Amino acid sequence: MIRTEHLTKRYGGLVAVNDLNLDIPQGQFFAFLGPNGAGKTTTIKLLAGLLKPTSGRAFIGGYDIQLDPVDARKIISYVPDMPFLYDKLEPMEFMLFVGQLYGMERAELVRASDELFDVFGLDEVRTQPIEDLSLGTRQRLVIASALLHQPRVIIIDEPMVGFDPRSARVVKNVLKERSRAGVTVFLSTHILPLAEELADQVGILNRGKLIAVGTIDELRELSGEQGELENTFLALTREEERAVELP
Amino acid sequence: MNALKFFRLLIAINLRIVRRNILALREKSLLMVSVIAVFVIGYWFAGYTIFYMGFRHLAEVPGLQVIVLDRMLYLFFAFLFLMLMFSNMIIGYSTLFKSQETQWMLTLPVRSLDVFRWKLMETTLLASWAFLFLSAPLMAAYGNARHVSPGFYLKVFLLFVPFTVIPAAIGSIAILIVTRYLHRRVFKWALFGASAVGIAAGITFLKPMQAEQLEQAQMVASLTQLLHNSNITLQPMLPSYWVASSMIAWGEGWSGKGLFYFLVLLSNAMMATLVCVTISRRLFYEGWSRNHTQGEFQLGVPLLDKPINLPRAALADRIVNLWPRMHHATRALVIKDIRVFWRDTSQWSQFVIFFGLLGLYVLNLRSVANDWSNEYWASFVCFLNLGASSMTLATLTTRFVFPQFSLEGKRLWIVGMVPNGLKHVLLEKFWLSSVSSAAITLCLMLTSSCMLRIPGWLTLLFASTVIVMSFALCGIAVGIGALFPNFSSASTAHRDDNPARIVSGFGGTFCFLLSLVYIVLVIGSEVLPMYQSFATNGFTDRGQPWAVVLSWIFVALLSLAATTIPMSLALKKVDNLEI
Repeated sequence: MIRTEHLTKRYGGLVAVNDLNLDIPQGQFFAFLGPNGAGKTTTIKLLAGLLKPTSGRAFIGGYDIQLDPVDARKIISYVPDMPFLYDKLEPMEFMLFVGQLYGMERAELVRASDELFDVFGLDEVRTQPIEDLSLGTRQRLVIASALLHQPRVIIIDEPMVGFDPRSARVVKNVLKERSRAGVTVFLSTHILPLAEELADQVGILNRGKLIAVGTIDELRELSGEQGELENTFLALTREEERAVELP
Repeated sequence: MNALKFFRLLIAINLRIVRRNILALREKSLLMVSVIAVFVIGYWFAGYTIFYMGFRHLAEVPGLQVIVLDRMLYLFFAFLFLMLMFSNMIIGYSTLFKSQETQWMLTLPVRSLDVFRWKLMETTLLASWAFLFLSAPLMAAYGNARHVSPGFYLKVFLLFVPFTVIPAAIGSIAILIVTRYLHRRVFKWALFGASAVGIAAGITFLKPMQAEQLEQAQMVASLTQLLHNSNITLQPMLPSYWVASSMIAWGEGWSGKGLFYFLVLLSNAMMATLVCVTISRRLFYEGWSRNHTQGEFQLGVPLLDKPINLPRAALADRIVNLWPRMHHATRALVIKDIRVFWRDTSQWSQFVIFFGLLGLYVLNLRSVANDWSNEYWASFVCFLNLGASSMTLATLTTRFVFPQFSLEGKRLWIVGMVPNGLKHVLLEKFWLSSVSSAAITLCLMLTSSCMLRIPGWLTLLFASTVIVMSFALCGIAVGIGALFPNFSSASTAHRDDNPARIVSGFGGTFCFLLSLVYIVLVIGSEVLPMYQSFATNGFTDRGQPWAVVLSWIFVALLSLAATTIPMSLALKKVDNLEI
């Protein structure tokens, strides 16, 4: 469902994403990990078609995001780390607007919005101006609106910012349910327990390069570290740092 | 989704937002709404009256009105065209490349071309409405002077639509090319270079007529010179020529000629839009992508590809090092404020526009330069000068200094943790803004005094007045800014710390009004004793200097009160503020 072929992005002399090859099948929950500045957000923006790759290609549902961007975006939902909302609208108005942009019928749109408002606990704020909502509530609204048109691919960058434990649990459950129902989830995060809890596969990016990809167990085996994913992550990125420093 | 459906949805949602903004006015303070209403109505009324009186005055000389009025229209539209082009470039860069909404739209299932088209329309509207609003009194006065029918105004409105589209398309093409091919930092310095060249050209070529030339005996020669100098606006390939010609023809009742130029304008507007949209197919998405990947532009020209790393940080340090005994916390705060200001393009660009306009005003003072054998007139012009400078300063302190405390917003705890807490922060902001604004206004005042060739004692009076006024106006702005902070508009939830939004609240309005009252009191208390002194001496001599000295002492005391009262209240408030 998500495939990249030698995807590369350079910022002047810096290689932000270096020859990335990924193949994520339908229904997989893929967690994308990496230290700060590893190139995770750049990769996500390349997958969402916001940035043009220096070389290589990215395919979403078989569509080349550069050549068929409109078809690819019909099946994607992209939730950035700093999402955009119209402050002067009310949550329900925003949901209806987004649904219409994706060509949804009004009756279906209202039904789906009600359902998502119920799941994300947004019923109480449906007629409040968005500008008055807390950061966590705004974030819940963004994720709810992203799920409205039944996307086949969800690309989500640092989804847990500003959530209380209950909201975090709701979001985790919803994303996992969608993944089980056949939706591919590409999640970028710094929260390793989140990846450990949800991901079918984990990819670790360091200095723009994919240094490891596999299930949690496969990564543990690769690193030689047991226990929490944190140990595995630190071991793998440390090895990479050494490899860079030694030559 | 097709483009029409996309635009329809966006129009509907934007109309809803506009309606909500209008309804929100009910929740705003009555004071603020009243001040805005009075300013709008006052501007239209004053603008219309001045233009109409000018046109009536011209009508007193047979044949003069038509010649000057028509030439004035050509000139006006030529300048308006240039202003619209610059305005579209500045706003277009923000709406097309910096707006979060654009990024969001680019992830929707619509073509990037349609996103560009929508943003082009948005840019045109945002960049043009203020000019149309400002030119309305002129159009009304022109129509009345030419005794046109009511239908004329509808035709003028129709003319304005294609007229605003052409500069929008040209400005957007320029921005598309610059963003796609030019490094951001190179562009910033290129802009500075262009501004410097513009100012130099202004000084060299803008030579206003001297006062003596405008005397009645020289009227014909002056008029000939004026018409000759503005001949460039009569080039038939200029859009400003088409719009002015159409307007003049409709004013005269020549429908055919008016329609012809309207159609020329319309067809060119359509062509310009077509060219712009066609270019955007290749440049918009690529430009957007490059704009969000800093340092990526490689032109193959070493000089342009190399990032310009000017020692900006070191420059701020060097400025602060001029005061070696400054407290280390104050030093850190000053450097932080200088850097934040410099790196926020929207802040310093507006600052430059403010002082650019004031600079142009000072340059034009050459036209009233004289030997000032009559001290009464010298004083009169100097007080006008002081009024203009202090009004600009009040606008400046309200716009830039007042929001400073609110801008700290949720970061207040960081600066609040310095050894002397928020008091230190407040005092630092007061001194930094006072010293910098006093330095700038003092330079302008001295330059204008030289231009006006006024006596030394008057220069000293106005220079010292403008210094104490700078401190007082900054005291008011910093003090009121801390007493009525607007943290919600600077909250991180909005993600755009927007000083303009902070100023638009109650505190900003109150600050501006208080500044105006202070200016009126200062100028009034200096003007009245001097006027009385001149009046008793038959307007030939200023009489005894004691009246001037006394009035200056009063101004100094008033300024001291205007500085210390708001600052003391603010210091008291922040001392008890819970961060």
